[in-house]
Amino acid sequence: MAIENLHKFLSDYFLANQCELLDNENGKVTIQLTDKMDELIMNRPFYWHYIKQIGQQGQPMKITFITNPDRQNEQGEWVHFGSPRLHQIFRTLSKQGKITRQYEQSGSVYRQPLIPWLVLNIKISYQGKHKKDELLSYGLQLINGTLVSPMMEKLSKLNLQPVIPDYCYTISPLIHNKSAYQRMIRYVQDYLRTKDYTWAKESWDHLYAEGKLLEHFYKEDQADKEKQNQLQQALSEIESRFRPRISIDIINGGLFYLSQESSNVVRSSS
Amino acid sequence: MNIQLNNDTAFIEELEDALQQDGPFSSWQLFQMSYQAAQTTLTPEFTGLTAPKHLPHMEFLPHQLDCARQIIEEMNGRGLLADEVGLGKTIEAGLILKEYMIRGLVKKALILVPASLVNQWVLELSQKFYIPAVSQGKRPVWDQNSIIVSSIDTAKRQPHRDIILEQEYDFILIDEAHKLKNHKTKNYEFVRALKKKYCLLLTATPVQNKLSDIFNLVSILKPGHLGNYEDFTANYGKDRNNLFNDEHLKQLIQKVMVRNRRQDTKVDWTERKVQTVWIAFSESEQQAYDELTSITSKADTFSSITLTRELCSSREACYLSMKKMLQQEKQIANREAYQDFLKVIEELPHHAKADKVVELIGNTDEKFIIFTEYRATQLYLQWYLQQHGISSVPYRGGFKRGKKDWMKQLFQNHAQVLIATEAGGEGINLQFCNNMINYDLPWNPMRLEQRIGRIHRFGQQQDVHIYNFALRNTMEEHVLNLLYEKIHLFERVVGNLDDILAELDIKDVEQEIQTIFRESETEGEAKIKLDNLSSVISLRQDQLQEQEDWDGNRESS
Repeated sequence: MAIENLHKFLSDYFLANQCELLDNENGKVTIQLTDKMDELIMNRPFYWHYIKQIGQQGQPMKITFITNPDRQNEQGEWVHFGSPRLHQIFRTLSKQGKITRQYEQSGSVYRQPLIPWLVLNIKISYQGKHKKDELLSYGLQLINGTLVSPMMEKLSKLNLQPVIPDYCYTISPLIHNKSAYQRMIRYVQDYLRTKDYTWAKESWDHLYAEGKLLEHFYKEDQADKEKQNQLQQALSEIESRFRPRISIDIINGGLFYLSQESSNVVRSSS
Repeated sequence: MNIQLNNDTAFIEELEDALQQDGPFSSWQLFQMSYQAAQTTLTPEFTGLTAPKHLPHMEFLPHQLDCARQIIEEMNGRGLLADEVGLGKTIEAGLILKEYMIRGLVKKALILVPASLVNQWVLELSQKFYIPAVSQGKRPVWDQNSIIVSSIDTAKRQPHRDIILEQEYDFILIDEAHKLKNHKTKNYEFVRALKKKYCLLLTATPVQNKLSDIFNLVSILKPGHLGNYEDFTANYGKDRNNLFNDEHLKQLIQKVMVRNRRQDTKVDWTERKVQTVWIAFSESEQQAYDELTSITSKADTFSSITLTRELCSSREACYLSMKKMLQQEKQIANREAYQDFLKVIEELPHHAKADKVVELIGNTDEKFIIFTEYRATQLYLQWYLQQHGISSVPYRGGFKRGKKDWMKQLFQNHAQVLIATEAGGEGINLQFCNNMINYDLPWNPMRLEQRIGRIHRFGQQQDVHIYNFALRNTMEEHVLNLLYEKIHLFERVVGNLDDILAELDIKDVEQEIQTIFRESETEGEAKIKLDNLSSVISLRQDQLQEQEDWDGNRESS
């Protein structure tokens, strides 16, 4: 699900933020920003502060992005996977897209229950001498405790909206969010136990070896307090550089109410 | 196994709050996009460089990618980056920093560089690597998460010093790190005391004089890697040649140092076309020169050599110095002769070299850099070129940083000629220009190397033309013939000359030559002495060359 079409991603982003696309062809798009988006990405806080002070209507900017590398010399900002603009947008997304609550629109005309799911998208970082990440997407059904992974791919096939559809009602969860969260973290830990830890062992060994070198380096200075402080600092530096650690970060998550049917589909194909 | 596990506990609280307050909630689309963004910024492998994918506008050379990979993967982010001049150490360092930032391993960095290079580093990091670096400025903020570029002299001074030493840096970079070779200096102690995770030391000359230089540099990166100081001197002695001769030491060093040399890089370097331009004084000038030589040889003062040199550069340079000398020095044996000579200078026509410059530049639109040793000549040339409709900008070591940048920009966009005095040497990169006139030759060959390095460096697309001006029948002729030609300075692309000079204990070639001219009774004697000096240098050069041919690429790994 990583971004494949950068142009579509950009256009979608601004549309989802209620901006108007003025011109959009062949890898070049011009966007009329809203006040809110201008404030968010154009880095001109003084202007907006001033406008608000004098109680005037601000003039949000138009901005042109180019994603087609063949056109990078034209008027506009070239956006690619490393450009600061894209990463700025990613940062806004990490806040804007963090917490959600969605209801499946099943289109049913009969009274129908919706079943609650807690969904968490989790980034695991493994860090020793080097670092790598992994993304997990878990869903936990809050009635019977079924765990599904990967969840996002399955949700993407459903029609989801922020309001509960007519004829539908939600079933109250039997599992509290917090304990569901605890369970999911336990699942993550179980998953982590299945991994290969050569990298961590190597890091420990390296840490140990460098620690020995340091002690040897300072061995003549055991009475020298200043030198001993240097040794302690050097030891803590290698510790922060090599000591293996794993971080679990929640990218985003939320409560999803799915129909009985979808709940079964999601579950069965896992 | 014991692995520290960090959990994100804040999220679930946030979610609970949102549910209790009935919002705000993200739309389904933004939620999905946020997930996509996370996937896109993921680094799924421990190894390999992801930074180049983020920098599609950059073309990295194989040795640069290799260097970055080696420092990150094999040296775990602490290394001595010791490529030869002009191979792109800045690029390699930027690549490494970028990689760590992408992987989320570096947020707070301190980059210590010579004051004259602060702006250039900031510019290169932000333009080439999209790294939001800031220069320390007047009121630096050290305690935030940011990438700060500062001069070491500012950083080590109070009140900055104490604040900086409290910070925990993810990444420290020291440019021109050979200045840290002495562990007793304040700079060394300061850098050693910095709290740091990753650390890069950049230098083109990792061993300048003594073998202990490298011990001190490595002890910043990885104390104990070479043992403690007693072990080190006991094992390897003090001779810097042991760095190449001792297999064990060589291997140890290779674990903390990357050193690429030009021939290792597989890059087609553009050619360096060096040409000596012989110029004859006009009759009246030659007469004046001879007269001055005879005046100065009668009363041998320190400035007498300088005066003759200056006359080879411009009337103005000589005139001003002479006048100053007459005013300041009370006891000059032949004061009258000098005073008369001032009148001779006033009568002289335009300098033969200046006419040559106009002849060379006048018919082309190409950009030229002119290097001169004297400020008076710089002013004169600027004026003289203007008279011939040639636009030029001056450049001096004494200019403030902002002014230097401004002059460089003027030269790049508007002026045809940049006239620099020395100290334009260290610092600015002018790859967009490929012609250089050495209006007067420095007597220190290293300075010439630095001058040429300003334009003949990585990024230069054209062949580089170097014109060395020399006046026939003057001391310039001797220096050029006997010193420069003999040590093949112009043919070599980049020098190990500084190593050789250090080894021969020649601290200052310029002073050496001055002494030769001053202490020689006759021109013939001066010639012989110059010749001897060059022979010593070139002999050592040949020896090294042989050894190198025999060793193959002994320093590359």
